[in-house]
Amino acid sequence: MSDFSIIGKPIAMVDAAGKTTGAGKYTDDLSVAGMLYGKILHSPHPHARIVRVDTSRAAKLPGVVAVVTGKDAPNPYGILPVGHDERAMALDKVRYVGDNVACVAAETEFIAEQALELIDVEYEVLPAYFDPEESMKAQSDFIHDNKPQNIEKDYHHVFGDPDKAFTEADYVAEARFIAQEVTHAAMEPHSTLASFEIDSQTGKPGRLTVWSSTQVPYYLQHKLSLVLEMPMSQIRVIKPLVGGGFGGKSEVIPLEIIAAVAARAAQKPVKITYTREEVFLAHRGRPRTIVDLKTGVKNDGSITAVKARVIQDGGAYCSYGVVTILYSGALLGALYDIPNIQYDGYRVLTNKPVCGAMRGHGTVNVRFAFESQLDEIALQLKMDSAEIRRRNLLKAPCITVNGLRVQSYGLPECIAQVVTRSQWNERKGKLPKSRGLGIACSHYVSGAANSIIRSDMPHSTVNIKIDRDGGIVVYTGASDIGQGSDTMVAQIAAEVLGCSMARVKVIAADTDLTPIDIGSYSSRVTFMNGNATLRAAQDVKKQIATAAARKMDCTLDDLIFRDDVVVNKRAPVAATPANGSQPTVVHAEASVSGRVEGQILRGSLQQKRKDEGPKARLSFEEAVVAAIDFHGALSGTGSYAPPPEARGGKHKGAGVGPSPAYSYSAQVAEVSVDEETGEVTVHKVWASHDCGRALNPTSVEGQIIGSVWMGMGQALTEEMVWKDGLLMNPGLLEYRSPSSVESPVVEAIIVESVDPEGPFGAKEASEGSLAATIPAIANAIYDAVGIRLRESPFTPERVLSALRAKKKQKHINLTEGVDPTAPTTFREHGGSLCFKGKGPERHALDPARREAQVATGGAD
Amino acid sequence: MSLPEFKLLRPRTVREAVDLLAQHSGNVRVLAGGTDLVPSMRQKLFEPQYVVDIRHISVLNGISPLRDGAVEIGALTSLTAIERSPYLRQHYSVLSEAAGTVASPVLRNMGTIGGNICLDTRCLWYNQSLQWRKSCGFCIKKDGDLCHVAPGGTKCWAAFSGDTPPALLCLNADIEIVSAAAIRRVALGEFYTGDGVAYRKLQSGELVTRVFLPAASADYRGVYRKLRVRGSIDYPLAGVAVVLKRANGHIADARVALTAVNPAPLLVTGATAALLGNVLDEALAEAVGDMAAKTAKPLTTSALTPEYRREMIRVFTKRALLAAAN
Repeated sequence: MSDFSIIGKPIAMVDAAGKTTGAGKYTDDLSVAGMLYGKILHSPHPHARIVRVDTSRAAKLPGVVAVVTGKDAPNPYGILPVGHDERAMALDKVRYVGDNVACVAAETEFIAEQALELIDVEYEVLPAYFDPEESMKAQSDFIHDNKPQNIEKDYHHVFGDPDKAFTEADYVAEARFIAQEVTHAAMEPHSTLASFEIDSQTGKPGRLTVWSSTQVPYYLQHKLSLVLEMPMSQIRVIKPLVGGGFGGKSEVIPLEIIAAVAARAAQKPVKITYTREEVFLAHRGRPRTIVDLKTGVKNDGSITAVKARVIQDGGAYCSYGVVTILYSGALLGALYDIPNIQYDGYRVLTNKPVCGAMRGHGTVNVRFAFESQLDEIALQLKMDSAEIRRRNLLKAPCITVNGLRVQSYGLPECIAQVVTRSQWNERKGKLPKSRGLGIACSHYVSGAANSIIRSDMPHSTVNIKIDRDGGIVVYTGASDIGQGSDTMVAQIAAEVLGCSMARVKVIAADTDLTPIDIGSYSSRVTFMNGNATLRAAQDVKKQIATAAARKMDCTLDDLIFRDDVVVNKRAPVAATPANGSQPTVVHAEASVSGRVEGQILRGSLQQKRKDEGPKARLSFEEAVVAAIDFHGALSGTGSYAPPPEARGGKHKGAGVGPSPAYSYSAQVAEVSVDEETGEVTVHKVWASHDCGRALNPTSVEGQIIGSVWMGMGQALTEEMVWKDGLLMNPGLLEYRSPSSVESPVVEAIIVESVDPEGPFGAKEASEGSLAATIPAIANAIYDAVGIRLRESPFTPERVLSALRAKKKQKHINLTEGVDPTAPTTFREHGGSLCFKGKGPERHALDPARREAQVATGGAD
Repeated sequence: MSLPEFKLLRPRTVREAVDLLAQHSGNVRVLAGGTDLVPSMRQKLFEPQYVVDIRHISVLNGISPLRDGAVEIGALTSLTAIERSPYLRQHYSVLSEAAGTVASPVLRNMGTIGGNICLDTRCLWYNQSLQWRKSCGFCIKKDGDLCHVAPGGTKCWAAFSGDTPPALLCLNADIEIVSAAAIRRVALGEFYTGDGVAYRKLQSGELVTRVFLPAASADYRGVYRKLRVRGSIDYPLAGVAVVLKRANGHIADARVALTAVNPAPLLVTGATAALLGNVLDEALAEAVGDMAAKTAKPLTTSALTPEYRREMIRVFTKRALLAAAN
């Protein structure tokens, strides 16, 4: 085991104090002089042509400064280069209930809301599509004119010879799985403050500064530049503290563009903060998904082939959709050894809020299907369900049939850990009635090997500056969204430079100050920005070492940087304890806690004592002073680009899925089911996660627990309930994320496979665990009561319905006609809407309409 | 969502409060804990010109055991106080138990017993923002003439979703209602109408001030069972309160009441008669469960399917009875 002084230690997050005391500033906490409040007018129709927008009445309301519509910024944008289909506000058509039509900037929020009521919009309502399989049959009124059959994108991949492999299989399982739609529900609602400076030369709006709750400040800068037709250099994006993203802030969200458009028109700063309902409408969550899955196995449990047909209900715009549907297929690989894969993926447009990236992007729903089916197969083969997973392990390092390079592979250890800790072998099948154990595995990328906008540019660059007093400033574009990237960056810099955390200050995610980083998504930051930080620190360390080596009359290799001291390990020094082989506990003037006062003076004095001859050790600041005297200013830079051999195959769509490294997870869930009510209780989850190396174990454990908890939400309670495109539960009361009461004990187990390319061997830690939780719970439910649920979430009425069917009890229609063990279509909320995709045509039984019929003689 | 503009009035006495209510009759709402009213005002379900904040009327706060064994509870008494009151826990345990299941600890600190009794009926098609209701089309309960839950119907089916009223019904509670003109005392069972819109018999200008628990209802065994998806925060999706008293192993008295499955909390008629004089066993508990399920009329006003919620009334009634008997 390597000996580190900073990494691998449970270090408190560098921003913890501000967040816990309330002193920390999130975007909505900010205000600037003269700031206005923006409110957005949303479409009431799922699909309609805009005939006319008249904002004149709203503009006349006292206190209203500007009203903007789609015409004020008509350029299209989108996170993907192939998906530039969004506009700041609708130009000609609205495509979901909640689509953006206009924005009012006013002196108060109340006035802005009142002004919205005064905007007159005339709509021509169009037929709307809510079910993806129905939407794919559309012949006219396409949601986007250039997308016939409302298919955003479809991919058809064949690797190996699946047809032949299925004929060679001893057993083939086939079923349809359905996962309902979920959303991130981050604690902080999106917020953006946009402010133009007046250009000193022209007197017109000049440079733009945007503070925003974003995971991707540089993409925001890029999209703002496209829509506002301004050079990127004139736009500064600053990310304040962010209260959680989970993917919901990983692309440009409408309010970010709209705030800037409104600020330009108003010539005053404008802040928009979404209501919780607007957060649900902005959405970008995990699409509801149909997975038709077929798996072939030999009698020994080895998988011969997998065939998956996946349909994602993507909502009204592309967003990350093309990437999501590709991840769903690509990540069939790289977990197990599957020699033959057929994948047919359809990303379908519907008149619903837009789906995008969400924790475990693309892989979660397919993993639910796959791991459930694998459990069924194990039963069929009378094989232990942990064993069937062991029988299908990859032989890493390897390149999978679909072109994914796997190097470090901790899955065997992950399985072994959860099996041992849960006493799987001793307890499985021997638990009391209605109680069961289930196992499942999952994996995820440590960042995408290919960036969204294809280029050979580094994905991350980090600069480090060290001042004369030994203070270190790290400039990183990485966006800390609560996952702890600022802390990670500080830890790596401190570890490499052998100094205390207190010396390191992190300046992050400010496009004017920090070098480009493509953002916090696909779990890329520790791996990529961490590597860039490592290299920047090594760069600057080398400069210090060069000067120190001269002063200490030794070679660079003789120097050890540790505990704020630079030591010549060859020099016999009394201060070095003789017992250890390594010069570890050398206490410097600056303690680890980091009191570094008076160093400049001391450094200067010591600098003068040159006649003392070569030294065995220098304090960190002495070494820094020596380096600055020697080199001039002391700064270093480092960047990271994934290696070409990790970038995947050549087939169409091969760009998505490849990663420099994959994380691995295995989980055992223990649940009990109340057979009279269908209520499922998760008692404990053993969750092991191979994160390469835990740079901060507390942080990794937090991510594992958070993933399990979020996965449990999708498994049991969370579900966006739709009625003809209208979201029935747009709030945290009716959209039920688990509360602390339901939280099970999560035993987080860190597995360290030490990746050859990760920073100190680290890989991702925050997404991979989520996907295993849902099937682990599903499999545990099967173990407990013998029902195989193929539709998530496993709400009590679904569980009870399946239980009653199994026991052949009297049928009660508990689930609106959908069998949760064999679902065919998405279930919608019962009740009735006044429109059925045809706009607000009143319901036939509406009293108002009946009276109208009576009045006109009626139609019997 | 901002609050609509209104004038906040802060009386110090009941007299002042009812005078203000009379003065602004028809254009005023009462604020006690605010946990129900404030979110609804943000959603523009209520846009009164005046809000009477009664929180500072100290005489309405507190639990007072009377000499004869009855109890008087001020309408402003917090749900937390009711949950924790040693006296209520000992003598009227069904009420403490029900109060302890309301929402979450923070909301129970704010919410009051009077507010829980007066809680507005709830429906997925009603408790939504103005923007949402515009998109959907307004309903009978607010601004419209259509029911989305029972199309064609002219009755509102919004569900009464308070946790404490079924417990209070089981305890034969009375409430005191004060107006500028009079003070009246009514049985809680007479307070609700069964209609989702005009769900309570409370005139504009009237204020619920006290709850009375009769001495005769003391020391029953009581159980409240609540269906909800989460163990905290959620409103009931179905709720059953049960009280019973036994003599020589036979049931001497019992009552069963439901919430969240009708526009009013309801006593299950026939349950008392079915239980009286019998020894409670599984079969009897099931039979009463069937009666309760017939009383329940759950509709798509709430999460989970109506059929499931009705089924849970059956199961929860059975379980509550068996738990109370043990």
